[in-house]
Amino acid sequence: MTASHTMRGFIGLINGSADIGRSRLFWSFAAVVLAGFLLVPAWMSEFGAYNIAYYLLNIPLALGLCLLWGYCGVLSFGQVAYFGIAGYLYGVTAGNLVASSLGPLIGSVGGLAGAALIGLIFGYFVFFARVQNWIVPILTLVFTLLLETFLGQTAGYQWRVGNVQLGGYNGMTAIPSFQIGGFVFVGYAFYYYALAVVLVCYLACRLLVNSHRGKVMLAIREDPLRTELLGYDIRAHQLLIFVLSTVLAGVSGLLYVQWGNYITPSQVGLLQAALPVIWVAVGGRQSLLAVMVSTYLLNWLSYALSTTGNQYAPVIMGVLLVAVMVFFPNGIIVTLSNLLSPRRRAGSAAMAKK
Amino acid sequence: MWRAQQLRKKFGGIVAIDNIDLAVKRQELHCIIGPNGAGKSTLFSLLCGIYRPDDGRIFFEEKEITAAPAFRRVQQGLGMTFQTNRAYHDLSIRQNLEVPMKISRTRESGGAAERFRYALDLFQIDGQNDGIARELPHHKLQWLEILMVLAAGPEVLLLDEPTAGMSPEETMQTARVLQHLNGMGLTIVVVEHDIAFVREVAQAVTVLHQGRVFAQGTIDEITAHDDVRRIYLGRA
Repeated sequence: MTASHTMRGFIGLINGSADIGRSRLFWSFAAVVLAGFLLVPAWMSEFGAYNIAYYLLNIPLALGLCLLWGYCGVLSFGQVAYFGIAGYLYGVTAGNLVASSLGPLIGSVGGLAGAALIGLIFGYFVFFARVQNWIVPILTLVFTLLLETFLGQTAGYQWRVGNVQLGGYNGMTAIPSFQIGGFVFVGYAFYYYALAVVLVCYLACRLLVNSHRGKVMLAIREDPLRTELLGYDIRAHQLLIFVLSTVLAGVSGLLYVQWGNYITPSQVGLLQAALPVIWVAVGGRQSLLAVMVSTYLLNWLSYALSTTGNQYAPVIMGVLLVAVMVFFPNGIIVTLSNLLSPRRRAGSAAMAKK
Repeated sequence: MWRAQQLRKKFGGIVAIDNIDLAVKRQELHCIIGPNGAGKSTLFSLLCGIYRPDDGRIFFEEKEITAAPAFRRVQQGLGMTFQTNRAYHDLSIRQNLEVPMKISRTRESGGAAERFRYALDLFQIDGQNDGIARELPHHKLQWLEILMVLAAGPEVLLLDEPTAGMSPEETMQTARVLQHLNGMGLTIVVVEHDIAFVREVAQAVTVLHQGRVFAQGTIDEITAHDDVRRIYLGRA
């Protein structure tokens, strides 16, 4: 009885009002889509599956930004910094532990812990100093650009950690793939691993926003002072969500280096820093689901554009952002969903006026 | 139970609050009145922790809270509403009431829970309503904000012009509910402009003028006070 009870409570929480996609029809559709993803190896080559894994791997980072910006009201332009920190830390750690089959696992944990720690320090100064909301994006952007500059000048033999060279603008190469014990996640195995990680991240975020803490997040977004005067330490709440978003960015960073086995400083540069904001805004920043879908589709789009030799992928992305901001301030997917669903969602009207 | 000693607050060269002493007794319904610019709202912000005083000390239940951040004061049993309505207009009524619920001194102290249920009933607001708060009429929004604060279970309620923009009937309804809540053990401090409201509810009145306490006493003493009539009530 208790097991089924817990299960029902869990489902209730997943299906709470804080995200779109709660109807039976939606879940049936989601099941079909998931089945399609699970069956990818049946009808696609390993190369095709690798590409799909690439479109998927930025989703955790985008979900983190969605929590921070859409649900908490704090825009960060520097999420890619934590992507890079986790990626580089993984590269250094796993690269030095190639002899051990536990190296990649230790590297993953270390990468996430490093991203979280630096996020905690950065976030502490930002939120506990009560830096104003509109300054935060600038500080986060400066941080990631500093990181890019630092990593860019690490060319040469003196910039090595153990056996691993940081590599300056050429980046770090030959980063080991993920492995647990003797099992190495390459090919279809990597695809399934990435898919599972993304799903877990999404469901965890959805649980979070439907929990009481999620409600407090919305309250802080709507009116920080009012929320503080209902007895909440909003600094601590914002810091926690910020650290969580850095961990999610770190997850994407790990997936990226485990996917391509390399990373360069441009991954934390200006262009990369702007992209997550576009993914999140285009889908609709107050819905995790919308952000997940738009992140996938836009990563597919820019990959498709760049592989056909099109130089204008960043320009198209920028135009898309401006167009969405003008015509769909709530994001395309959220706007469509509100049109389709008869019940108006509280909270979506909120974003329209801001 | 709530005491301010020699509070001072300056903004640039302007002394907004100049040496104010204030004592609010347990279960009192205390009104703070004064003409525009008298320092009412600044005093209010000092009491609930939005501003820090330049000088002076504040005590709550004999504990000094001068340096305590606002949310700590709320956790110790203070609740407050703002001069302009700050219910979450774009969240549902249910969400508005759920946010303060968890802090939930309401569960510890039975009195607070009872007061919340009583006010919910009298203000005729459905706590399960999923409609967006901004669709409520103005007076109900004001009541909703009071309810949100009561949901957190305060022992002292600090209200900044709770009846601003209300019709006379709505004002009187607010007065009745506040008086009853006061009878149920809630200490209430109201900053108010509406002298009819103050006459109706106040047990103790503090008159502020140019950042100083101008007069203190019962409502009868205050309305009989010649100088108060001159500066505030506008009658000779």
